[in-house]
This record gives sequence, structure tokens and C-alpha cells, in this order.
Amino acid sequence: MIRTEQLIAQRGDFTLGPVNLDLGADSYLILLGPSGAGKTLLLETCMGLIPSKSGNVWLNGKDVTRSRPEQRHISYLPQDLALFPHLNVRENILFGAKRRHIDNSLTEDRLNNLLPLLELRNIIEREDVSSLSGGEKQRVALARALLPQPQMLFLDEPFSALDATIKRQLQVKLREINQQLGVTILHVTHDQEEAFMLGEKIAVMIHGKLCQLGSRDDIYYRPETLDVARFLRNQNIFDMTLEEVLPGGNMQKGNGIKLMTPGHERAQKGQRFAAGIRSEEVVIIRPNKPLGPDLQENLFHANVVDILAFGGTHILCVKLQESEVTIDVELPNCAMRDLGYAIGDDLQICLRKRSLWTIPLN
Amino acid sequence: MLHRDTAFKISMLLPLVLLIVYFLLLISSQSSFFSLTVFFDQLSRGDLRSAVTLSLFAATISSLLAIVIAIPSAYALARIHFPGKQFIDTFIDLPMILTPIALGTLILMSWNTSMGRLLSNFGITLPFTVAGVVLAQFTVIVAISIRMLKSTFEQINPRQEQVARLLGCSAFGSFRHVTLPLAKRGVMTAIILTWARAIGEFGATVMVAGTAKGQTATLPSSIYLAMSAADLPKAVTLMVILIGISLLVLLGVRVVLEHKP
Repeated sequence: MIRTEQLIAQRGDFTLGPVNLDLGADSYLILLGPSGAGKTLLLETCMGLIPSKSGNVWLNGKDVTRSRPEQRHISYLPQDLALFPHLNVRENILFGAKRRHIDNSLTEDRLNNLLPLLELRNIIEREDVSSLSGGEKQRVALARALLPQPQMLFLDEPFSALDATIKRQLQVKLREINQQLGVTILHVTHDQEEAFMLGEKIAVMIHGKLCQLGSRDDIYYRPETLDVARFLRNQNIFDMTLEEVLPGGNMQKGNGIKLMTPGHERAQKGQRFAAGIRSEEVVIIRPNKPLGPDLQENLFHANVVDILAFGGTHILCVKLQESEVTIDVELPNCAMRDLGYAIGDDLQICLRKRSLWTIPLN
Repeated sequence: MLHRDTAFKISMLLPLVLLIVYFLLLISSQSSFFSLTVFFDQLSRGDLRSAVTLSLFAATISSLLAIVIAIPSAYALARIHFPGKQFIDTFIDLPMILTPIALGTLILMSWNTSMGRLLSNFGITLPFTVAGVVLAQFTVIVAISIRMLKSTFEQINPRQEQVARLLGCSAFGSFRHVTLPLAKRGVMTAIILTWARAIGEFGATVMVAGTAKGQTATLPSSIYLAMSAADLPKAVTLMVILIGISLLVLLGVRVVLEHKP
């Protein structure tokens, strides 16, 4: 559906790319990255609002690199929605259909399909768009973008200004739209929760480069670069050296600990790796409980050195007894209440091999 | 605390009250020279009616010309990046800094060049003609229009234009259907204020078009002529007309600014 080939764009001193992206029809891709990563610049370049420095953009197999924005049939929902204040709600929604000279009866049919889907019946006749609530404005802007039935819908941080409840409702609505209308969506966000909730596929962009593109689980559990791992809040990262390549994985050593990690292609003895584990993947071994087969290795005794409380979870900061390594362990509040840990307590943890990720360094 | 607040408010209001009193004194001091009989008598005079008509006509044409040039120029300065933009942005302000008399001199002298003579050979003559009045006023007000409209365009969210493009508008279409309607209030205000500036223009107009009675004499130059000839009834009548027009214009601006887009 959309493909970019060695796409490079520039804004001031910032350079985007080269970006190679391939997004199929009906899919929902999340472009995730920190602020200033170049996500919006990538959208603007694909939409033709900013000329690319080099490379190509293909839409439905057609090279549109030199096409004007209106020829690309991409709809765009920017962060600030950009509703037209001089038009009423109906005129805003019908703007694209009018400009593209879509037949009136067809426009009415499409509008009648969108009204219930986006719950617009009560506000369609409103005169002043500035009197709409944040969620209503969002739905009007979505309807305006969808009515011309674009080939693609680009969303740029569309929910950043909404409160959590409305945000969740609209996120669910977006999934419905993607499935019911079959529109391909490229959704830019810096919000990781939103990304993992909505994206079938997620692309992570940092410093103008597309660092990783993969499924939810790939991105979440198997980051391919240290930048991606750090951006996705992997707190437990260790600098390791490969000591032995074994049939079931690699034995790595570093920071005074030994870890059995998943195997890595073309790994060689003495090679340096970054190994890591998400804090919620660290298992606390309860005393007197039998250990399952995947909890037989990477067992460590540790002391609780700090406890941090968040909304629904607690983070236990534990220091491994054999080394100076400190590991964050995330526990849901209910588990924390049951276990009743306090600073200074001893416990045993397991860094399961299948939960560990490794990235070759250099 | 209350006393301090009151003292603060009074210290802010007092200069304003003094200024209003000063302006009212200026206007009311004319009453000794003004009577309705003289006013209507003066209005029936051909040269005075001609000055009023010429002023209204020339100010309307010059401000329309200025807006036609200023809208694209201001948009270009607000939105388009091009080499030398900073220099041009500064250069555009030149007519606002130069005194109108100097501007008038520039126009007049330019007619004394080979290009001016060539145009004269084709029958295009500006000095001491109505077209000269329009050109002088245009030269003075066009920079003001550009400055006002540039700030109007800068206040419009460029994302709205981009969204319009992606919804099927060409660059011109997006300008017509989104930018211009959103700039409507700014454009209206610019038209009214530049028109007001044009109708009161004196220096450049006198230098370029002169003050020929019934031909190129405008309201301000007629006031000057009447005062030079110690014709106080005529000068006061012309001033009353100018004050009336100015008040109407200011009222118009207020109505436009308070009207919701």
C-alpha cells in the first residue's frame, strides 16, 4: 500500500532517514518514538507537504514522490485536529467530499455510515465547531478525514490532548474503523501504552532513523538496538561477554554474574553483548514452592534496597548478593500486598532465559 | 490593599482621561468657527465637493490596489521561504519609515527619467493628475497593508491549509477555501485602516499631484490651502467632514473586530 525507499528529508539541521518502510493494505502501523525523533517529518514527506531530499514514496504501486499532496489521496489527522473554524460541523465533515467533487448521494450514504460509527448524530447540526468538547472535535476531524475514503489515514498524536477515558473510547473506535472500513492507518505516537494497544505492527523511530519494525511482542520483548531498549523503558540492562556457546543458549558473563541467554546467530566466544529483561518479567521465587523447568537457571539471591509505588504497581529495587548489580522487579499491587516485602528483605529471583533479550555490541 | 488597588487604577486611568479631555478640547475649540449655515453653504461649493469626491474615489482605488498587492505579498512573507526574504521583509517597511514628502519626491523624480519620459510618450502621465493622487496614496499605504496582513496570515494555523490540501484542494483552492475565509477579519480591518490612512494622506499627494482646485486637490490638501488663504469657514467645514469620515471608519473597524468569524 505505502512503501518508502531510501527516503531522506531535511528540516533545518535535522535529517530524517534513510527510511525504508513497507506497509500493506488494511494494516495498522504504529510509528512510535520520542519527541523530536522525526515522526511527523516522515508523515509530512510521505504526504508531499515537504519535498524529500532523496528516495521515493510509492502508494499502491505508483511512485508519488513528485505528486502534489491532493493527488496522493491520503487523509491526515494532525495533533491539533485543524478543524476549520469558519465552517459548521456538517461543512467541516463534508469539506473533502466537496473538494473532490464526490456525488451528493454517495456523500450522503457515506455520511450516514459514519454518523453512527463515530456517534455524530447529536452534533452534526452544530454551528460552531469551537463549542465542541475535545472528544467531539476528535470525532468530527476523524469523520472529515474518512468521508473521502482515502487510500491511507495518517494520524499524528491524535489523542495527546484528551483525558484518559475519552482517549480509551477513541482508541477502541479507531480499531473498529480500521476493521470495518478497511482503511490502512499509519499512526504516530510517543505513548507506548497506546502503541502496544493499537498497533498490529510497530515501527520505532529514534533520531530520524527507523530502528526497528516488528510485531508488538518483537518490539516489546526483543529490542534490536540499545536505543530501542532504553526508549521502551527496559531498566535492567547488563553489559556481558559471551563465555560459552551451548546447545540451549549462550553462557554470558559480566558485572560479576553469569547468565544463560537465548542463542544468537553467529555469536562468538569473547563477543560483547547487551542483555536485558523487562522488570515485569523478573520472577520472584516464593520459598517452599516447587520450581518449574524454565526456572532452573539464572537464579539469584538478592536484597530489597528500595521500593517505589506507582498507580497499579510497585517496583522493587533488588541488589544481587553475588555482585553490585541492581535489578528492578515490577509487581502488581495485589502481589505486593500478599508478599509484603520491605526494604532489607532477602528474596530469590529468576531471570528466565526466554524473557531475556540480547543485542550484540559493536 | 483595596486603597492600593484603587490608587493603581486611578494612576492608569488618569493619563487616559487627560488625553480624551485634550482631544475634546481640540475638537470643541472649532465650534466658535463652525455654524451649520456656513457648513451647508460651503458644501454647495464645487471645489469643496470635488475635493471630497476625489478623496473618497482616490482612497478607495488606492486602498483596493494596495490590498490586491498586499494579500499575496503578505502571504509570501508569512509562509514561503525564499532567498533574501529577511532583506525584502525589511525593505518593505521603507515607505513606513520615510516621510510621505520624501516618498512623493521619489515618485516625482522617477518620472523625470528615461522610463518616465517613455511612459509619457505613450500618454501615461502621473504628475499632477488624479492617477498621481492614487499612486501617491498607494505608495504610502501598501507597506502598512502588507505588515497588517502578514501578521494576520501568521496567526492562521498552517496545519489547516495542509489538511485542506490533503482533502483535495490545490494550493490556490486551499488559499481560497481556508486561508482567505480565516483571514477575512484581518483583511477587512486592513482595508478600512489603509483606506483611512489614504484619505488623510497629504505629503506624498501634494508632491506628486499638486493642489489644483477642482482637479487634484484632496480633503487634506484643501484644508492646507484654505488655511493658507485664511479661509477659516472652509477649513473648518473640511475638517468636520474629515473627522466624520474618521469616526465612521473607526466605528467600522470596531464592528468588524467584534463580529465573530
